[in-house]
Amino acid sequence: MSEQILAALARYGFPALFAVVTVASIGIPLPVTLLLIVTGSLAAQGVLNIWGAIAVAALGSIAGDQIGYAIGRWGGKALAARLTGLLGKGDRLRQMEAGANKLGGSGIFLSRWLVTPLGPWINFASGIAGYSWLRFIFWDVAGELLDAVLYICVGYAFSDRVQQAAEVMGNLAWAFVGIAIAAFLGWKLFGKKLSTTRLRVEEPAR
Amino acid sequence: MAQVHQRTLLALGFCLAIAAVFFFGYRAGHTARHVRWQEEAIQPWMSVPFIAHTRHTPEKPLFEAIHVQPDRHDRRPIRDIARAGNVPVAELIRDLEQAIAKASGPGSGSVSPPGKTISPQDQSGR
Repeated sequence: MSEQILAALARYGFPALFAVVTVASIGIPLPVTLLLIVTGSLAAQGVLNIWGAIAVAALGSIAGDQIGYAIGRWGGKALAARLTGLLGKGDRLRQMEAGANKLGGSGIFLSRWLVTPLGPWINFASGIAGYSWLRFIFWDVAGELLDAVLYICVGYAFSDRVQQAAEVMGNLAWAFVGIAIAAFLGWKLFGKKLSTTRLRVEEPAR
Repeated sequence: MAQVHQRTLLALGFCLAIAAVFFFGYRAGHTARHVRWQEEAIQPWMSVPFIAHTRHTPEKPLFEAIHVQPDRHDRRPIRDIARAGNVPVAELIRDLEQAIAKASGPGSGSVSPPGKTISPQDQSGR
């Protein structure tokens, strides 16, 4: 699959880049890290214009993210409401909405460029949770621009080492996903316990 | 009981996440340490000018090695060139590797032999 995608990029340039990043942002697993790094390499070789490449990559990703958000908002929300209602946990959806509104901005921004494997899930979850579309698009544009600049510039700088650069960046992205999950589970395990202990210590002083 | 079960699952997930951080972090670090000293392997999606760029070799001998008219705007992947010439892509890759080795041989002053891991000392002159 990655061979065909990269061959299409080498042959058709921007249209192939736009199509692949859009589809990948919806949630189809495609080798976007390698694609963006190869794009940077092609820009370094003078085949593609670097500013055009950044613009096309960012626009394609934003378009895919909007589709993911729309699926979550108009397709997923009804499904989630029905499921949570059936399970007798209708308040879960409201909790999810509150959580998304509280942490949504940073979650959306970081999942565009740092913990990229989580990106499509965050789009879908933001739509389901009814996160404000205006705020979603603001954080989405900021994150996707940074993502395109970061990966294409890595490809530009390491234009003769694209496969190794992609391997480093891919591994780093998964390491950051691990950090995010460990932080979340650590907070669930120890954070709540700590706050309960603190409350118990403070209570006698009142 | 259910709470203990939930906490055990959370702790297991936490340990797995930490292990994943070390695993992927190590892999990233290992590749990064060797990034400058390893040659880029030729892949079927690469075009001849792309291969020439990654291996610091002139394009002309590479085109000639696979019997294609030299054209720096020819961006066809070697997979497509192989298909058009009814030749296995592995054979084209082998021919290209030989051409790179020849171009980087004694007196050419170009690059190291194909696929060879070269030391930082060899690279310091670049």
